[in-house]
Amino acid sequence: MKISGSYTLPVAPERAYQILQDPAILARAMPGCESLEKIGPDEYRMKMKVLLAALSGEFEGKMRIADQAPPTSFRLIVEGSGRIGFLKGDGLLKLAPAATVRVLSAAPSEPPETIVSYEGDAQVGGTMAAVGQRLIDGTSKMMIKKFFDKLASLATDQRDS
Amino acid sequence: MATTTTKTETFVGKRVRRREDPRLITGTATYVEDIQMPGMHYAVILRSPHAAARIRSIKAKQAEAAPGVVCVFTGKDTKGVGVVPCGIAMPDLRVPQHNILATDRVYFVGHPVAVVVARDRYLARDAAELIEVDYDILPAVADPEKALTKGAPAVHPQWPDNIAFTYHQDGGNVDKVFAEADVVVKQRIVSQRLVPMAMETRGVVAEWRGADRQLNLYTSTQIPHLVRTLVAGMLGLEENRTRVIAPEVGGGFGSKLNVYAEEALMGFVSMRIQKPVKWIESRRENFTCTTHGRGHVDYYEIAAKRDGTILGIKLKLIQDVGAYHQLLTPLIPQLSVLMMPGLYNTQNIRADIVGVFTNCVPTDAYRGAGRPEATHGIERMVDILAAELKMDPAQIRLKNFVTKDKFPYATATGLMYDSGDYAAPLKKALDLVGYVKLRQEQADLRKQGKYMGIGISTYGEICAIGPSPATPAGGWESATVKIEPSGKITILTGACPHGQGEETTFAQIAADELGVGLDDILVTRGDTAVVQYGIGTFGSRATAVGGTALYYALQDLKAKIKKFGAMLLESDDVTLVGGQVVCDKTGKAKPLREIAGASYRALKLPPNTEPGLIATRFWEPPNFTFPFGAHIVVTDIDSETGQIKVRRYVAVDDCGNILNPLIVDGQVHGGVAQGLGQALWEQAVYDDNGQLITGELTDYALPRAHLMPWIESHHTCTPSPVNPLGVKGVGEAGTIGCSPAVVNSAVDALSPLGVRHIDMPLTPEKIWKLLAKKN
Amino acid sequence: MIAQKFEYTAPKSLDEALHLLSSGAKPLAGGMSLIPMMKLRLAVPEHLVDLRALKDLNYIREAGGQLHIGATASHYEIESSALLRQKCPLLTETAASIGDVQVRNMGTIGGSVAHADPAADYPAALAALEAKFVLKGAKAERTVSAADFFVDAFSTALQPGEILREVIVPIDDARTGTSYKKMVQPASGFAIVGVAARVRQNAGKVSFVRLGITGLSNHAYRATAAEKALEGKPATPNDIQNAAALVTQGVDANSDLHASADYRRHLAVVHAARAIGTAISRIA
Ligand SMILES: Cc1cc2nc3c(=O)[nH]c(=O)nc-3n(C[C@H](O)[C@H](O)[C@H](O)COP(=O)(O)OP(=O)(O)OC[C@H]3O[C@@H](n4cnc5c(N)ncnc54)[C@H](O)[C@@H]3O)c2cc1C
Repeated sequence: MKISGSYTLPVAPERAYQILQDPAILARAMPGCESLEKIGPDEYRMKMKVLLAALSGEFEGKMRIADQAPPTSFRLIVEGSGRIGFLKGDGLLKLAPAATVRVLSAAPSEPPETIVSYEGDAQVGGTMAAVGQRLIDGTSKMMIKKFFDKLASLATDQRDS
Repeated sequence: MATTTTKTETFVGKRVRRREDPRLITGTATYVEDIQMPGMHYAVILRSPHAAARIRSIKAKQAEAAPGVVCVFTGKDTKGVGVVPCGIAMPDLRVPQHNILATDRVYFVGHPVAVVVARDRYLARDAAELIEVDYDILPAVADPEKALTKGAPAVHPQWPDNIAFTYHQDGGNVDKVFAEADVVVKQRIVSQRLVPMAMETRGVVAEWRGADRQLNLYTSTQIPHLVRTLVAGMLGLEENRTRVIAPEVGGGFGSKLNVYAEEALMGFVSMRIQKPVKWIESRRENFTCTTHGRGHVDYYEIAAKRDGTILGIKLKLIQDVGAYHQLLTPLIPQLSVLMMPGLYNTQNIRADIVGVFTNCVPTDAYRGAGRPEATHGIERMVDILAAELKMDPAQIRLKNFVTKDKFPYATATGLMYDSGDYAAPLKKALDLVGYVKLRQEQADLRKQGKYMGIGISTYGEICAIGPSPATPAGGWESATVKIEPSGKITILTGACPHGQGEETTFAQIAADELGVGLDDILVTRGDTAVVQYGIGTFGSRATAVGGTALYYALQDLKAKIKKFGAMLLESDDVTLVGGQVVCDKTGKAKPLREIAGASYRALKLPPNTEPGLIATRFWEPPNFTFPFGAHIVVTDIDSETGQIKVRRYVAVDDCGNILNPLIVDGQVHGGVAQGLGQALWEQAVYDDNGQLITGELTDYALPRAHLMPWIESHHTCTPSPVNPLGVKGVGEAGTIGCSPAVVNSAVDALSPLGVRHIDMPLTPEKIWKLLAKKN
Repeated sequence: MIAQKFEYTAPKSLDEALHLLSSGAKPLAGGMSLIPMMKLRLAVPEHLVDLRALKDLNYIREAGGQLHIGATASHYEIESSALLRQKCPLLTETAASIGDVQVRNMGTIGGSVAHADPAADYPAALAALEAKFVLKGAKAERTVSAADFFVDAFSTALQPGEILREVIVPIDDARTGTSYKKMVQPASGFAIVGVAARVRQNAGKVSFVRLGITGLSNHAYRATAAEKALEGKPATPNDIQNAAALVTQGVDANSDLHASADYRRHLAVVHAARAIGTAISRIA
């Protein structure tokens, strides 16, 4: 399945790049993330618990960051499995200052923004894949949105503090 | 009541209600799941979630220690068990070793990896989750055409080209007619993978009786005797001490015409634990581990003269095999090739089959097995040809049919069509549907921008499978008729019908032959310890072949009854009529009951006659039978949503003599339902990684009762000369005739947009896209 | 298809049920969504509290000029309610379009909206009706609007420990016509897209219109841009078409095996026009 979209974070690209790779922040932003620990350079082990109405599942997996080109892009490789199935994802995240878009209207004092666009491939397998066709697209969008919403609020909290 | 009713009433040809139905519809029938035994254990099978992976290790310690668990077996433990058999032998057939449990590698999602045996199924299921399998995931390929491309992942590393077999057939002079033809039309046509979806999933109960070296195996199968022979072989058991029982079978449609890993596996488990064990397949397993049907990509070419005369047909057939060969896998596309010319008089054909391994569950027989694919192909191509030549699709068919004076007709594919009058059902269907008026209405609707289509399919099929030389196991069938001392009659059929209605039709045949009532007759099937060896029910064969064996056994018995009657009546001139033997001269009669009693009491015997009234016949058919028919479908297409609505469904089927019109209607209805399923809704979809993404009924769209159109079922009757009953078979006719009629109808509706072909299923979105392209 | 072990309680009172829920138990209603998930072990609740044991959650009644529907009213009870047929035919029509007879006999309105399947039928009607949802926790009760209730795919305003007690819908006057149009996903029966329309006319013009859309995106919503476009218009075919064209505005459409995002958007427009047209034709 192809996944793509974009989100605007209320911080400058450098900062956005940094928080997108900050395990402490990621752990808090990822919906259902129970733990995230570093196991190597740019490699993390994580535990997630997904709770969606009646559905629930625990996943254990790894996350790896590659092809780093701060502050404009990096690749994210995720792999997780649990008893309801497994998922694998591989995506490219690109960061661009939002200012280029609003050059005309932006007041100089307006806080900087970064457009994070992502594009990648996700694979779902196991019971989830067989029964969840109807639900995978919607739920993945929702999880991504939740993630960025949380990330945005964490970013602003930090910026304000 | 120990009396036999004698009747002059006859039953053959009447709408006799199905005698098997009361137990089926009141929920009192016994299926595998209903079998309980003292000390019975339950098995749950752990299956691969990956389509291709190396197994690095399997850790079962935790599962073994779980509450209620007796043992866990993996591929290491079952190495001594024989492989899952492929029943087809052909040159260059590549047969991968198909172990009952994976050993070092898994080849498809659902591949069995381990079996957990526990006191109850809940504990077994809980424990299965505790088994840790370390998989090294490998690239997979699920699409047969992709599998044939260079560099595609190899399903079996020893065969990097993924070719499972090839098969070539040539008849006449194809090159010449294609060179001389006025027109050649070509089309790629897909018959998508389908899930047979028996309402009852598979299930096995195995009971090993060590002291007797006896294995009792209850399994939901269409072929208990073949399962016995093959499973006994896999487990190294004595065949006479292996008893296979097919209790009530809740649908098979070809998916239970097989020998499965689980049948041997449960036998193995029961022998190991010395206790009976039960395994019931879940719906999810049924989706991923029971054979699928179809899975063709066909490249057709037809050469014709400008006047519509078909000169020759070429076919390149790509068969999606899946990861292994099951019992008949490589045979199915060969049936398509045999049926390739359909009802048309052409002696020039060329077919090339390539069977392709994919990381999917194997394909095998599914209602129609090879013939729906062939009929879909030829019937689509004839419509495409008609469109190319601007001819009426009915006319082009009438022009090319093998005419009725040509029978028996030898086809270019090596068959001998037994009897036929192909124009008759088409003309009848055209009349019934009001073809001329409909075409007028269509023209009017087109002016209003509305899309209505009329689709014709004229199909033929190979039934009564079949003469032994043409089948992988024997192609004969067996029947025993026993008249008990009380005069009651027991029929043992080797055909193992499982819901098709032979408990009724066979009783009808016997009742008429013997002149008794239906209630005096019991039809028994499905237990190898009770019934003589038999082949099974598939390929529309049970009545045409098994019914004929019964017919001949009844003739033997009638002769013997007459001998006993003659002895008792002390006359040589006797007739068996109305359930009694009557002396032609005196009019004195002896009822069957009395004759049966005398035959067992044996105080006196006719000369050269043994006591008792039992006869067994094994009947070898001299040929297949070839039913045919015409289906016409009228559809209306919602031009905004693309939704197709079937307005009329007219089916005119010719299955030879009809023993019971009610049952024939039922077979046609069920067949059409499954044909509509393929045409409109069903598809087994694997994603690029070999995950079956239509793995539950929330995504796999089965035909439902409320989605069915009214089926107008009619007949013509051309008896078969192959058997004395004159019957041909009707179990698959509906499925075979249906899908091309539906697709032809939709294409006809959209033809003003230049649409020439649409692959199944005809989802509204596909149609909408075609409509949108135009606008 | 074998569920994991779980506890089951048929509570004697709502308080008992809420007490159990606050200690981690999960409500069970018709089981039509929950049980299949449990069989596949996609859901593994340890303790189920059967809300259908509470007879005082099962009612359909009129009070204070509104209709109150208890959470455990089944789809069939709603479909066949004479009161609703007369005073809120949109709900009976919607209920009748759900799944099949067996599902309608077992499934409940509370379970359906609490589950919040993006393709469920009721949410479209309840959005168009601007329904109110009464949520009860161990300590307090609160009422939320449809707009606030449906948060995202399988996500609602319900907090852990809370149950949906009832749904409240208004009684429309005679000048209102309603309709629910749905494209059925043939495997499941759910809506690929469903549109509920509620239209009032006054002096030949549309004076009020509410459109609820389900199936298109992660949760049901009101198509306010389309509503605005139609209000004040005579509702010619053109007016309807122009309004319907706006129902997908700003919506991130979902895509799956059964329908791509483009096709879903198209179906939403088509069904919106049809629902509006039928609703108007039903105005007494
Ligand atoms: C074959 C099939 C076809 C279907 N087709 C359709 C269709 O066409 N359209 C459609 O809309 N739906 C369809 N459904 C879903 C059906 O409508 C379900 O009934 C509904 O989604 C759930 O209701 P339920 O009462 O069965 O809830 P349950 O399955 O018992 O519960 C669902 C969830 O809601 C929670 N819950 C239940 N009641 C409450 C409450 N009062 N307060 C808080 N939480 C609660 C449960 O804990 C659970 O998480 C179909 C279902 C099936 C099996």
